Amino acid sequence: MRSENQSEMQCVECEGLLAEAIDGGLHGTTLAAFEAHQQSCPACRTMVEEATAGLHWLKGLDEVEPPRHLVHNILAQTIGALPSEHAVVSPRGEGWLDKVKGRLAPIFAPVATPRFAMSFGMAFFSITLLLSIAGLHLSDLRRLDLSSKGIAKTYSSTQARVIRYYDNLRLVYEIESRVRDLRRVAAPEKQQPEEPAPKTQPKSDNQQDKNRTNQNYSRDANQPELAASPAGNEPGMKDLTNQARLNRRIA
Amino acid sequence: MDDIQAVNALVRRCVTGDAAAWQEIVQQYHRRIYNLCYRFSGSPDDAADLTQEVFIKMYRTLSTFDTTRASFMTWVTTVTRNLLVDHFRKGKYDRITDSLEATPGNQDDGLSLAEKLEDHSAGPEARMRSQEAQKLVHQALRKLSPELREAVILRDLQDMDYKDIALVLKVPEGTVKSRINRGRTELARLLQRSYRQVS
Repeated sequence: MRSENQSEMQCVECEGLLAEAIDGGLHGTTLAAFEAHQQSCPACRTMVEEATAGLHWLKGLDEVEPPRHLVHNILAQTIGALPSEHAVVSPRGEGWLDKVKGRLAPIFAPVATPRFAMSFGMAFFSITLLLSIAGLHLSDLRRLDLSSKGIAKTYSSTQARVIRYYDNLRLVYEIESRVRDLRRVAAPEKQQPEEPAPKTQPKSDNQQDKNRTNQNYSRDANQPELAASPAGNEPGMKDLTNQARLNRRIA
Repeated sequence: MDDIQAVNALVRRCVTGDAAAWQEIVQQYHRRIYNLCYRFSGSPDDAADLTQEVFIKMYRTLSTFDTTRASFMTWVTTVTRNLLVDHFRKGKYDRITDSLEATPGNQDDGLSLAEKLEDHSAGPEARMRSQEAQKLVHQALRKLSPELREAVILRDLQDMDYKDIALVLKVPEGTVKSRINRGRTELARLLQRSYRQVS
């Protein structure tokens, strides 16, 4: 029988049944085969002993008590309510300050933790540092003019300051001067093919010719050129009057 | 069966917005979840933080609990375990690598862990009665790999059956048994090795 069990049960099977065997889940022939294998296999026997010892160590661990305010904190963070048995009850004879404290304590309980205090402190320190670097002081807030005119004035002065600052930036200035130089260099290159006849000059000549033409059209073709009047110029009113007198005397 | 139905009814009430039902759930399960977190993380402060996170997560996802798939206890354990694994992966709760020879925590009495284990009275159960021995086992438990640790915690400390553990860990039942065996064996070896070094 023993030899049969030995042949039936292998170390792998023994290991597979180990958990159930320790928990008392093996019965009948399976249990007999398991025990028989243990008798003959020292490795499996050691394994069973160690696993049993480990189980006993673990079973010896007691349940730990959760922190007192754990339930309160959980409820405050989920439904924002206090558990009935943890509700803060102010004893008789307490002053109003104690009552207020008693009521406020549970509300601020989630934030009244070292971790939150540390985070808040770090945030405050960072903001203060940034404000001081930016040149802002809390005392400046007193002098703030919050009227519409004051806000408009502040806005315009700030805008002007920003623009001035931007314009005075060395980088901006240099970029602008470079762009101007580039434009200056690029402009003649473009105009080179049309160099012989500048654009503006012919335009003015054409206009002069046009004016001249208009001038000719306005004058009568049979009208004699006056000796007194300068050639090509419009006669003035004075010259015209003198010419009329002369014509009358001749007549 | 009645308990399961009662819990399911409680969950249904909670989903409809019954604050009292939620309060009852918190009262009923916070101790178990805290213990699970404490044994896994090893720190009471971390366990408290993790327990709160578990309940916040539960509160937000309570409507996803399917009564036909698993019991509420299994669902709660799964939520807890997933959160613990997430935290472990983030590197927040790594394995403690200090030696059993090191003097533990605040108890500065000059005795090493192995010396404290040197108690020749009766068997392991008798030794466990002392608070000091519990600390030693707790520290040894933290030295196990997360896979083995969670398996033995769920089985031996939370008294879950193999089927539910397999559901929580999402591994076959055979793997669960193997991990439990290895976890128990490794824990015993860790404690015995230190004992032998002293004696």
